Amino acid sequence: MTVMRYAEALNAALREEMQRDPSVFLFGEDIGRYGGVFKVSKGLRDEFGDARVRDTPISEQALTAMAVTAAMSGTRPVLEIMYADFLPLSLDALINQASVFTYLWEGQVDIPFVLRTQGGGGVGTGAQHAKSLDAMVCHIPGIKVVAPATPADAKGLLKSAIRDRQPVVFLEHKLLYNTRGEVPDGDEVLVPIGKAKTVVEGKHVSIFASSKMVIEAENAAKLLAKDGIEAEVIDLRTLRPLDLDAIRGSIAKTNHAVVVNEGWTFCGYASELSATIMEHCFDDLDAPVARVAMPDMAIPYSEPLEMAVLPNAVKIAAAAKKALA
Amino acid sequence: MATPITAGAVAGEYMETLVIVEWRVGIGDAVAEGDVLLTIETAKAAVDIEAPSAGVVSAIFAEVDSEVPAAAVLCLIGNDIADVDYDGGEAPVTGSSSSSTPATAVMAAERAAEAPRAAVSSARIVASPAARRAASAAGIDLRVVRASSPSGRIKLRDIAGASQSAPAFAGSAPVSAGLPVDENGPLKVHRSGATGGAPVFLIHGFASDSLSWYPLDRQLAKSHPVYRVDLPNHGASPKRQVSGFADLVREVRDAFDALDLDGAHVIGHSLGGALALALADTRPRKVASLTLLAPGGLGPKVNGDFISGIARASRPESLAAWLKVMVRDQTLVDLPFVKAAFAARASAALRAAQSHMGETLFADGTQSFDLVAALHRLDCPTRIIWGRKDRVLDWRDALQAPGHVGLHLLPDVGHVPHLEAPDLSLGIISALIKSI
Amino acid sequence: MINAPSTDELKDIHHKMVVTRELEEVLGTYAKEGKTRGPIHRCDGQEAVGVAACAALRADDYVCTTHRGHHVYVGKGLTTRGIVAEIFGRETGYCKGRGGHMLLGDVKTGMLGGNAIVGAGIPAATGMALSMQILKQDRVSMVVFGDGAAQTGICHEAMNMAGLWKLPVIFVLENNQYGLTVRQEVQSPVEDLSIRAAGYAMPGEIVDGNDAEAVYRAVAAAAERARRGDGPTLIEAKTYRVKGFSTSDMGGYQSEEEMAPWLDRDPIKLSAEKLSALVGADTVAAIEAAARAEVAQAFEVALSDPFPTFEIHAPSAAYSETK
Ligand SMILES: Cc1ncc(C[n+]2csc(CCOP(=O)(O)OP(=O)(O)O)c2C)c(N)n1
Ligand SMILES: [Mg+2]
Repeated sequence: MTVMRYAEALNAALREEMQRDPSVFLFGEDIGRYGGVFKVSKGLRDEFGDARVRDTPISEQALTAMAVTAAMSGTRPVLEIMYADFLPLSLDALINQASVFTYLWEGQVDIPFVLRTQGGGGVGTGAQHAKSLDAMVCHIPGIKVVAPATPADAKGLLKSAIRDRQPVVFLEHKLLYNTRGEVPDGDEVLVPIGKAKTVVEGKHVSIFASSKMVIEAENAAKLLAKDGIEAEVIDLRTLRPLDLDAIRGSIAKTNHAVVVNEGWTFCGYASELSATIMEHCFDDLDAPVARVAMPDMAIPYSEPLEMAVLPNAVKIAAAAKKALA
Repeated sequence: MATPITAGAVAGEYMETLVIVEWRVGIGDAVAEGDVLLTIETAKAAVDIEAPSAGVVSAIFAEVDSEVPAAAVLCLIGNDIADVDYDGGEAPVTGSSSSSTPATAVMAAERAAEAPRAAVSSARIVASPAARRAASAAGIDLRVVRASSPSGRIKLRDIAGASQSAPAFAGSAPVSAGLPVDENGPLKVHRSGATGGAPVFLIHGFASDSLSWYPLDRQLAKSHPVYRVDLPNHGASPKRQVSGFADLVREVRDAFDALDLDGAHVIGHSLGGALALALADTRPRKVASLTLLAPGGLGPKVNGDFISGIARASRPESLAAWLKVMVRDQTLVDLPFVKAAFAARASAALRAAQSHMGETLFADGTQSFDLVAALHRLDCPTRIIWGRKDRVLDWRDALQAPGHVGLHLLPDVGHVPHLEAPDLSLGIISALIKSI
Repeated sequence: MINAPSTDELKDIHHKMVVTRELEEVLGTYAKEGKTRGPIHRCDGQEAVGVAACAALRADDYVCTTHRGHHVYVGKGLTTRGIVAEIFGRETGYCKGRGGHMLLGDVKTGMLGGNAIVGAGIPAATGMALSMQILKQDRVSMVVFGDGAAQTGICHEAMNMAGLWKLPVIFVLENNQYGLTVRQEVQSPVEDLSIRAAGYAMPGEIVDGNDAEAVYRAVAAAAERARRGDGPTLIEAKTYRVKGFSTSDMGGYQSEEEMAPWLDRDPIKLSAEKLSALVGADTVAAIEAAARAEVAQAFEVALSDPFPTFEIHAPSAAYSETK
């Protein structure tokens, strides 16, 4: 085990996969010489050269479409989209290209590329640099979506994502890059896509979260513990495909579910979770599924406003208590 | 202390409200146990509410045609007309999920400008899915459980509490698989309508019951005494094994004979049509006319999937699918209708008994009883009403009828003419009865 | 000289450039002390582009800018106090703190927005011009955008339509040599982005972005063309970003040798020299002192202004589904 920052864990995953497989290459804005605005690709251009670690113009739409076809033609691109807020520019390539050809052409092509991006609010970056658009990419069939919360999962999942045959959207959070955690040593330690993890065990209420919201959920569990409530926190890790067994198992135990996502509420990722739980766990529910998500509005800049709209531990704990009342 | 009368389980836990269709009793009437007090409508189905014990009707809380919460108290049966105290009579009008609120009070509250509909919705038993499942597993009636949550919803913990404190609700013990022991006693016959006039005797079809005659029975009851029999393993009749069609005919004939009717107008639907035909064949002098609605027994064909599917359906969704097979216009099978129909078949024991009966009567997906000869022997005025879009039985079987039998082959109608074309069916039947 | 600014206009431009510079410097100080929130994109050294371009427009013309738009805010006539209050998230800011420094908008002055989606201002201004053309108005719209933004797909799409339909829009390409940390030559195979104008059948012109008067004249001529119905113009203003990408820039990629000549040709220094020749050094000093005092005053007032309180059903959030 080595203690690393989340950004360093990602960096290690990129380095190891690039060493292991010469068809892996990185491209994106400011990722080469500067090492990425969040320093995730720091040092990689020097190690692998600027053909495989490539600075690009600001052209997300074309970049994403190019990642799709580069992946079809023998390479394994890892594209960095600087902010999740720019995902809408990538959506055409994801929806109309990446998600269709493997099926339409009856498996003649694999599309092994990873789109890394980061979202989330809390630091005053304003309405166009603070969103969580998980739901937009999770809506697309044929695309896997992961959102790790810890350095270990960040590394293990990124390695799995790069080796996957399908497009994987890899969602990071700007407030996680500096968080530290133990990361298992060895370049063959992979975290499987599609497996959730119970990070706090409890028997009264299940809280489902991903990415930075896992930290909020863990803090909510601590708040709830003060009132004698034992919350179970499930880190989904993969948003699509969902780990249904983990969801079912936890709700069968607690009979109460709180679903958390930093994105918008309406038609949001939390809504999908809620519907899934309703379909699969209805008879186990002892209260309506509670959603904790962003209100349906642009994210305001001013600190008191931004803090008011972001989901957090206090809101999660309140929702859990209401469900348990 | 008077006994409060509610629609209870007959309304089904899915129903929020019901409509008072008809009072069969008035204040001061003495009633015996099992007497029909009133008819209610939940969704599109009618239900009779019977007196649970003998007594005197001491209060009536709901007017005809009014819509009241499913759990409201509809009337009281006391020792005498002055006996109007009852348990829970002091309960507040709103915010209570107990069944003790008189319908009039709810209606009054509803008319008040504030919270116009709150009373109605709060009267439905609100329980979490987990609590419902636990209650049914433990045989606990949700109506006796108090909700401890500020949401008013019964939760799991309330069931846990109830199973320790309250005895399991009588009669709702979980039904184990397999066939129940045979129950004894005669078939249930519901009587309603006028005292004078020629009697009408109604025989329902497979997987249905005497309530399915609504609203035809109500129309006929305006000028005739109306008798509706529940077949064995159906409605309120005993559950017991039926060894074959002949056995069934004997049971129905016994019930008919016990009524000692003269000049009865017999109406039967589907399997009930075959039984009506058999009854008329063996009691020619007692039967004044015969109306056969999509009758069985006139050919071997029957939709075997339907028979097993509808009898088995253990969820409203699956029942709905089969109900849709019965009718041409699918919109008739809306959610309230399905829920009402399902409420009548909520008992697993009843479904199991019917499944078994269906397998016996329609073995190999075939109608093995042939009544074509009986149809030819008939000499009472007879009408066959059948929808040409029937997907359960083959309407062309009607074409084997002899010349004196009137055929009404309705386009765009399925297996249930009296539901799908109620006015036309009633018109044909009324004209037939009048002609005698 | 045709389309040259009057002496009064030059004085006003100088005043506004100094206001902008002062604003950036004070903001820089606050940022170093950790008293600002989120990244701030300073436009030191580029003041002439935003201020002089706006000075050549009418009050009812529209302008769109980028994440680096303080010079446009000031140039189009927004009050310093309102700008500062917005940057500090106060109730008295132009957008009551909701927009912040990158997303400020003020319809009254025709400043239709900073925009932090790179390239977004280009079709934005083009759409406004389309509306002006349909309404047969003699107004124009202008967008100030970066060399990085010039590489986006929407830039090409919007310019193509502007040329095709002869829309009254002015494209001011503020080439400060960098898109974030990536040098322009790593983003584009051509040195002068203005040559792209030929592809859209519009005039393309290079001006010295540090010379306020040159910027003014180019924009004034483009505005005249646009009002005449002759369509769009692409003006590439060559300049240089002297204070890094933003307050969160970790630096290390802009060398001092590269920067030195640009610091020498500081737009405010050039403007002060020209203006002194016209009105005397004392007047120029007075203008600058007044500008600095205005900024100091703005910070003092704005920083004691209250923060907004969150209200989900505030009028502009009325589209919200959440109760
Ligand atoms: C669509 C989009 N992609 C990427 C970014 C991140 N980003 C913000 S500013 C910037 C560089 C912009 O360069 P340029 O247009 O030259 O403007 P300058 O910063 O030089 O003023 C980038 C890549 C963004 N905001 N929007
Ligand atoms: Mg630039």
